[in-house]
Amino acid sequence: MSNTAVETMAGAAVLEDVVKHFKSGSDTVRAVDGVSVAIPRGKLVALKGPSGCGKSTLLNLLGALDRPDSGRIIVDGADISGLSGAVEVAYRRDKVGFVFQMFNLMPYLSAIENVMLPMELRGEPNAQGRRALAESLLSRVKLAPDRHRRRPTRLSGGEQQRVAIARALANDPALILAGEPTANLDSTTGEQIVGLLRSLASDDRTVLIATHDNSIARQADLVITMRDGNLVGRDEG
Amino acid sequence: MKILRWASRALLRAPLRAALLVGVLGVSIGLALIMITVDGAFDERLDEIQSEVGTTVTIQPAGSFGGGFILRGGFGPGAGGGPNAPNAGDAADGADADAGLATLTDEAVEAIASIEHVTAYTRTITAQYTGDELVAGTIERPGNSPFAGNLPEGGRPILILVTGTDNPKELSSLGVENAEITSGRTFEIDEGEANVAVVGEGLAEANGLVVGDTFSVNEAEVEVVGIYTSGSQFGDNAMFLPLDTARTLFEREGEVDAISVRVDTAANVSSTADAIRETLGEDVADVTTQEAAFDAISAPLADAADSSRVGMIAALIASAAIILFSVAIVARQRIREIGILKALGASNWHVVGQMTLETAFVAIIAAVIGALATFPLAQTVANGLVSDPTTEVGGFGGPGGGGGGGASWLSRLVAAKEATCSVRLMSPSRPKSLATRWPSRLALR
Repeated sequence: MSNTAVETMAGAAVLEDVVKHFKSGSDTVRAVDGVSVAIPRGKLVALKGPSGCGKSTLLNLLGALDRPDSGRIIVDGADISGLSGAVEVAYRRDKVGFVFQMFNLMPYLSAIENVMLPMELRGEPNAQGRRALAESLLSRVKLAPDRHRRRPTRLSGGEQQRVAIARALANDPALILAGEPTANLDSTTGEQIVGLLRSLASDDRTVLIATHDNSIARQADLVITMRDGNLVGRDEG
Repeated sequence: MKILRWASRALLRAPLRAALLVGVLGVSIGLALIMITVDGAFDERLDEIQSEVGTTVTIQPAGSFGGGFILRGGFGPGAGGGPNAPNAGDAADGADADAGLATLTDEAVEAIASIEHVTAYTRTITAQYTGDELVAGTIERPGNSPFAGNLPEGGRPILILVTGTDNPKELSSLGVENAEITSGRTFEIDEGEANVAVVGEGLAEANGLVVGDTFSVNEAEVEVVGIYTSGSQFGDNAMFLPLDTARTLFEREGEVDAISVRVDTAANVSSTADAIRETLGEDVADVTTQEAAFDAISAPLADAADSSRVGMIAALIASAAIILFSVAIVARQRIREIGILKALGASNWHVVGQMTLETAFVAIIAAVIGALATFPLAQTVANGLVSDPTTEVGGFGGPGGGGGGGASWLSRLVAAKEATCSVRLMSPSRPKSLATRWPSRLALR
């Protein structure tokens, strides 16, 4: 994809010939091997493929948790492939929200405190405002009010994932990256979570879900299929 | 400030983890403190022995015994001490050889005081009281004892030894080693010319004297301010007077029979003794040191102190290792947490700062708890290994005054805490390395 194409897709996530290899002993793992793809803005996008195909690596690259060996990654009009220091921290904090397979809530914080965490990291000074917004987000993800002050260990898997989604929304990011968000949930709860993620995709926000769950793929606006570090399919929903 | 709040909150929100960590660190720091305290006690005791024994130089007139007491007729008829005593002449050139009896003088004392490393001195004169104003005590014939010897019926009178000293806090003389006051007091430094006396129990009993009574010595009225015991009949039949009072009563102005000099450190004793010999002349004064006595006394203690030092170093290394390993284990357990924080937008500075402060909090609390919990035990162990570590030293007159009692328990604790802090300072390196080197992607898989 040309630079011109990238510029005309301001707001979308665009990857240009992105490569990420890892050393594993004497072998080289080609986790992402020259991927170029444009992720449209405001859509629910499913990233499909078998385990080890490079889905998680691609998510990490988009979230600036890792850097590509080569290629460019444009998110919301900005090249993030070479970010470092405070700019990289600010990108992760303000532009991206993460939803993890293992929920990854802070065990010593309550549900509402977990949601307030990104706001505090951003430096939001108004404690009342933080709490009100966190309450609002938890209500939005349909977590019962009596669960708001519980610690993660006293929440079910589905409830923990709802808290994680609310936390991902805390700083109103343009891109939500979800890695196998239903893998640790029963099918009913999983469908609820997917429905919730589906509702988050809007004009301003893109949701990218790495999964090998076909039920998620069926609800996506776009399904991108990977195998052995390469894109092998792109299906509009 | 924000990171400080985060760190304290993280600790408070995981109280079990924090408490266990504090417990582990507290025990290790406590053990190190015990070893530090014991080591300090050994050092302190060695210093005390050095200050009490090893740094004293004794100077007496050449060839004399008891500061010339014998040569002046002690233990026999016509003994020195009265106004007509044969050695009551002028003292010059550091010694009075005029009467055939070597005697030191205040000029000699001044010369000694100016020698480098001399920190304090004590002067004494000794004389036998031969007047008839006091009754001497007697050595009683002890019944059927095989040690009765040839004592006459009614016992044998003991001579009355009078010692003038300018160190009233350590009343020592012939037959008297650190007299113990049993009633009244010793005389004060500012009573140097007062007619006051501290009288031995035997002499007081023979003359019916109690504290507050007065008696005559060479036609002067002297008040009894204290009564002492020395544990020997000879020693208890004596009295102590302020130096200048004794000089006046026995007409020995400016004379000194023995000088006890304190040197600043044991290492300087030998050179100082040589300097004194050179100053006074070996034909004038016998200069003796207590280096051999110190070596004999301190050698076993020094060996134990060396072992204690090795133990202390081992304990410190073990404590440092325990702290480092504990912090490393905790930090490794929190890799995922670190990854989450970074994914949510925390900077490296934030993560490192939070982990470092948490470590510092835990280490400080552990150090305080470890110190408080083990210090009494450490004191007990130290006291058991090193007896009487609080012997008071003092009472010397002259330049520098008396010695101190050594380091207090508080200073020892502070020293221990400083050592602990130096161990603790190594610990924050682990969370820093873990936070910066471990990519978030590994933590989040």
